Amino acid sequence: MEKVCVIGAGSTKYGKLADSITDIALQASVDAIESAGIEPKEIQAGYISNVFGIADKQVHLGPVIMSDLGIPEVPSLSIESACGSGSISFREAFANVAAGFYDVVLATGVEKVTHTGTEWTTTYFSYCSDFFYEGGAGASFPGLFASMARAYLAEYKATEEDLAMVAVKNHDNGMLNPKAHLRKKITVDDVLKSAVVASPLKLYDCCPFSDGASSVILCSEKFAKAHSKNYIQVIGSGRGGSPAALQGRQHITEIPSTKIASQAAYKMAGITPKDIDFAEVHDCFTIAELVDSEDLGFFEKGKAVQGVREGRTRLNGDIPINPSGGLKSKGHPIGATGIGQVAEVFDQLTGKAGERTVKDAQIGLTHNFGATGASCAVHIFKSV
Amino acid sequence: MLSKEEFINYTKEGKILARKCTRCGHLHLVTTYFCQNCGNKGFENTVIDGKGTIVTYTIITVPPEGFEKYVPYAWVVMKVDNSELSISGFMGGIKSPADLPLGTKAKIVDHDERGIVIEKQ
Repeated sequence: MEKVCVIGAGSTKYGKLADSITDIALQASVDAIESAGIEPKEIQAGYISNVFGIADKQVHLGPVIMSDLGIPEVPSLSIESACGSGSISFREAFANVAAGFYDVVLATGVEKVTHTGTEWTTTYFSYCSDFFYEGGAGASFPGLFASMARAYLAEYKATEEDLAMVAVKNHDNGMLNPKAHLRKKITVDDVLKSAVVASPLKLYDCCPFSDGASSVILCSEKFAKAHSKNYIQVIGSGRGGSPAALQGRQHITEIPSTKIASQAAYKMAGITPKDIDFAEVHDCFTIAELVDSEDLGFFEKGKAVQGVREGRTRLNGDIPINPSGGLKSKGHPIGATGIGQVAEVFDQLTGKAGERTVKDAQIGLTHNFGATGASCAVHIFKSV
Repeated sequence: MLSKEEFINYTKEGKILARKCTRCGHLHLVTTYFCQNCGNKGFENTVIDGKGTIVTYTIITVPPEGFEKYVPYAWVVMKVDNSELSISGFMGGIKSPADLPLGTKAKIVDHDERGIVIEKQ
């Protein structure tokens, strides 16, 4: 297997964007290409992740993006795996370079939904669930995670204040990220007093619906060494699955796909959770960050709450989680999120993260899943 | 071939049409084609009483399309009595957590535009 590196990354701002889905996908792609210092003609394949292109009247995005990058002859794959589309697309890009099929590939994720309004997004996002049992019985996505939250709070004697602390921490980090959607300092009280969306989750427990695009350039180690001095290496990659519906899981407070994917990634990297210097995890809702950080092995089951209370996951803690602000504050353009996490790790490990830089970090992890974790990908990166 | 229609007809009678693996006995909801425990394709139909215990739930205040008129309502996960199966569905008339302590006994009563409908026993 070839060693795979990331030599460039770019992102638009996340938030409510005026430009079209193809425009923002191209803006991020061009940023990534320029950041890598390569020519588009050096790209041999494109991996384009998106979920609701239909909302902006453009599906089959791959060929459109490749054409507008001036390389219409280059093959592309348009990928949908709900909110995990980005990382799962990244995995396909990684696997193809690792297998030696390509030397240089582009992975771009994009989403453009805010113009559709809350009802459209709530309804269409619910189609990502196991619809017969979940969306079709009135469960919104906040509702599904709220059900995990109620079970978690009861099982581990945690409180809604604990959940709120996750949101406060991620907003603090997002304040330091110029591209974040919600750059606003909040307090535990603000979270607790925000409107209930799906009890026990309130508005500030939920990530926003965002527009945005992120893009990265992956390549073989040989190509990276010849073309770049400032790049990162992918040292671990894992995928996993879970029963699509929450009802099919043995423990509702765990996400099996996260455990499977992360164990595979740690094994490939030859490291343990203790070796990770920081992580970008899938905090679509505050409860998800607690569950994720346990399933990823940073805390024992039920102990992530204690970690948050003690500030261990803050930017200056011993295991900083979501230095970018996470989905909660940075925003969640669902097709772009997994790629945006890789872009954040690239920035962190190549000295481009500014005020939110995690001190002395050398190894970063990304964790991104689709729906309630039915599909998942975990990647581990090392500075070179 | 399996169909959701057959499964739905049983829910209207308060029953769950489950599939029992003929090799290992593992129980699945009707939509499974291969045993999740042993991979076997042979099943026999088993009809289970749609009664159980609420293990978790949410109360929805911002609903997806079609559920506006039911707000607030609960979406619940119910562990089915005397089996390893859980099943989820819609429960009307729930306004606050005080209305539905975890562990409440419940039952499937119907399937309609709200999906599987579950009520307190």
